[in-house]
Amino acid sequence: MNLYATQLECLLVILGLGTLLTDAFRPGGDRRKLGYLLATLVTITLLYSFTLAPTADTFFHGMYRLDSFALFFKRLFLLATAFVLLMGAEFVERFETGVAEFYALVLLAATGMLVIASVNDFILLFVALELVTITFYILTAFLRRQVQSLEAGTKYLILGALSSGFTVYGIAYIFGTTGTTNFDKLATLLSAGGSGSAFLLGMLLVLTGLGFKVASVPFQIWAPDVYQGAPTPVTAFLAVGSKAAGFALLLRVMLAGLLPVSAVWMPVLLVLAAATLGYGNLGAISQRNIKRLLGYSSIGHAGYMLMGLAAGNALGSQAVLFYLGQYAFTNLCAFLVIIAVGREEIADYAGLGKRSPILGAALFLAMASLAGIPPLSGFFGKFQLFAAVIEAAQTNWHYYILAGIGAGAVVVSLYYYFNVGRAIYIEEAKDTTPIPVSLPVRAGLYVCMLAMIGLGIYQQPLVEAATLAAGIFGLK
Amino acid sequence: MEHLLTIAILLPLASAFLAFLLPAKKPGAIRALALFATGVSLLLTLYIFSQFDRQDAGYQFVKSIEWLPSLKVNLKFGVDGISMTLLLLVGIVSFCGALVSHEIHDRQKEYYILFLALTTGISGTFCAMDMFFFYFFYEMAVIPMYLLIGMYGSLPAGKHGRTKEYATMKLTLYLTAGAVLALIGLLTMYYAGGKTFDMVELKNNLRLAGSTQKWVFACLLFGFGFLASLFPFHTWSPLGYAAAPTAASMMHAGVLKKLGAYGIIRLALPLLPEGARHWVDLLAILCIFNILYAGLAALTQKDWKFVIGYSSVSHMGYVMLGIATLNVIGVSGAVLLMFAHGVMAALTFSLIGFFYHQTHNRNVPDLSGLARKIPFIGVCMVMAAMASSGLPGFANFASEIMVFIGAWHQGSTVFRIATICAVWGIVVTATYLLWAVRTSFFGPFDEKWNMLKDATTLKQKFPYAFLLAVLLVVGFWPRSLTDIIKPSVQRILATNSHRLAQMEKQ
Repeated sequence: MNLYATQLECLLVILGLGTLLTDAFRPGGDRRKLGYLLATLVTITLLYSFTLAPTADTFFHGMYRLDSFALFFKRLFLLATAFVLLMGAEFVERFETGVAEFYALVLLAATGMLVIASVNDFILLFVALELVTITFYILTAFLRRQVQSLEAGTKYLILGALSSGFTVYGIAYIFGTTGTTNFDKLATLLSAGGSGSAFLLGMLLVLTGLGFKVASVPFQIWAPDVYQGAPTPVTAFLAVGSKAAGFALLLRVMLAGLLPVSAVWMPVLLVLAAATLGYGNLGAISQRNIKRLLGYSSIGHAGYMLMGLAAGNALGSQAVLFYLGQYAFTNLCAFLVIIAVGREEIADYAGLGKRSPILGAALFLAMASLAGIPPLSGFFGKFQLFAAVIEAAQTNWHYYILAGIGAGAVVVSLYYYFNVGRAIYIEEAKDTTPIPVSLPVRAGLYVCMLAMIGLGIYQQPLVEAATLAAGIFGLK
Repeated sequence: MEHLLTIAILLPLASAFLAFLLPAKKPGAIRALALFATGVSLLLTLYIFSQFDRQDAGYQFVKSIEWLPSLKVNLKFGVDGISMTLLLLVGIVSFCGALVSHEIHDRQKEYYILFLALTTGISGTFCAMDMFFFYFFYEMAVIPMYLLIGMYGSLPAGKHGRTKEYATMKLTLYLTAGAVLALIGLLTMYYAGGKTFDMVELKNNLRLAGSTQKWVFACLLFGFGFLASLFPFHTWSPLGYAAAPTAASMMHAGVLKKLGAYGIIRLALPLLPEGARHWVDLLAILCIFNILYAGLAALTQKDWKFVIGYSSVSHMGYVMLGIATLNVIGVSGAVLLMFAHGVMAALTFSLIGFFYHQTHNRNVPDLSGLARKIPFIGVCMVMAAMASSGLPGFANFASEIMVFIGAWHQGSTVFRIATICAVWGIVVTATYLLWAVRTSFFGPFDEKWNMLKDATTLKQKFPYAFLLAVLLVVGFWPRSLTDIIKPSVQRILATNSHRLAQMEKQ
């Protein structure tokens, strides 16, 4: 039974180890083709995952779940992994060595994320979290001859270690005061009453530690630097996979384990959401480097999603899942374009619409979707989050302040996203040579654009999946 | 029958997708597609208008498709007298806009895709009976507008050193700021109305305390007020119009701007009666600023498009004053004025586009005696100026009179003063328009404009003549529209006073 529940993870581990072996057996092989092959295999795994049915059972002595929530996130991570492998294949010339190791590390990080989707216990949470984080330390510093990449790796390492310290310290407090690390037992204990200040301290420490993964205040400083310095496929993985993993943990811990004490953490999240929104969106205004811009923007988007979590209602948690789903397509689209163009200054994107109509259209749509403009999926994501906050505001007027800050953030974000749009379509190109786009990238871009427009107009399929996944928390 | 309305609204968007698939190397085919889509939409709208039941004040041609059950969102379209009038306006202006777009030569494919998407965004907002889709279509105009102005616009240098990039960004930010403000109000209404976006259900279910109504109304009034260029949120407007290409100016000044006023009439007035009572006096005062301040600002402008841009801000003051009266004749006048001003603004901007395309100069003092070379355009411009100044015989006259009567009839001192100022506003309007027309079209002929070519063929003349004809027909026979507007306005205001009575009883 346990093997059944972890079959997706096992598949990824086999793939990862197999990739490492290719270096031993075929040292001179075509690494680009290997990337395409792995991306295809992960896509097949993704399709296969739709045959799995969610179950209410727990595995590994209650540590592991395979419910609809876990499956939703596993599919999201598999999607992100497939795209990141495709990006890695496109990035092959820019890695000097160790392409196979790169693929293997991506697959191992993905395994960690898949476990994260299922955790039901603080111990497993920490192990899975470290599996992802430590792999990312290597991945961010993968361009070992570039100072920026090394700096990014070091920053990520130091702040990551600090936040891990926070998390594990918090877990110790929680275990020390309640005597359990299992989320279900914790919820039962807490609803029976009795949570001392030591327990609350532990909870807050865990909350801030997890905030590192999603890049929320107070652990958001790393995001712009790391996003800029890391190899672009890794940046994409951070933005899509690692962030979603952080939210999977936050949702599971807060809503499954700590729901009985929501009166304590909801105001905290409210403040954190507002601060994160402000930091990300104001910081993004003056950016000239598109990856750095997306780093700030990812902080901003963490703020929007925290709005949904802070609202603490069914619509809010569903909205976070929907948002993550559409955010994956949007961000992957943007990063695919960045890799295809191969330049990072926003000024280099001048006239992209003429140099390559498909890259121009894709990046513009991604920016518009991030800004939340209909008929793109980002609009509906934000719409639901705002609706959730206004719903919470019907009983607690403080949420109107959060909605107001969110509204202001939308306007500010429009400015910097449309600055990229201005470069693409309005400014004249300095360099007018057409940019070649390989067939797999083209296919990836079409998938992302179709998803952005499709989910923006017809939201029902993803909403249904998100409702089902968030339904396990039984919120009203 | 019900499908016709949905088709009329969505046909341009469907054509935009189709145009996306056509090769960019065949601009002729894409332009033909755009003309076909807007033309058929206009014909369908006219057919719906002819079949419209004039006795029925409620929604007609209602078509509802379940869209998102979890939030109770339905794709629901329908028209009452107010929507019908404005849908007609969209049809007329978008078709004429597509016709005069032959001046675009660069990147035609993107141009027509954006133009068609914009058209659906606007007509969708006017006909949506579901608040979600109302907002969806309302915001959908953002991308096309930003790119149309940024990619195809032009702003002669020197005007405060502003560029078209600045103008289009300012316009986008202002409109979005207004939209998100309104969104907070709309979502509050969604929850207070028992979680429904359906405007009819909302009318029956909404329960909001007086104090809440006051600030929700403020959200809607100022949120939509941004788009309606309500003072002091109007500054994006003249600049944006000046920078926009002809057809985008026509769509924006003619139709898009009316979405703001429409949102207030459709959502704020019937559902938030107490809020409305609270804010109308302030609104009337702001309208005085709109009318006189923007009018005086127009007096000082040299650029034709800035003159008309300020003029349209000034005219929106009359529309908002009409809304503020909260009586049938005033609000009906406001709706009719939205139609009349929409056609008139589209006409003026298309005429400016006609000569600017050849002169590359629209500075009023630089132009002189143009009427000698382009008599047809000159005559149309004189007529447009007369319409704008509210001369009898044009639709603007009928509607402005209705607004004045409504405002005077309202009775309070604020409104009496506002009425007097508004009447004086007409003198200001006449002053700057007649000055601009006299200077640039009459007077000594300047040889450097010898190369100008007039609209000679029927094909060239048609859009201008058509818009002018609409103004005259409605001017001589305003009942063609007021007959359908009034019952619907009555119904909206009846809901308003019925609600107020209910609240007072409690």
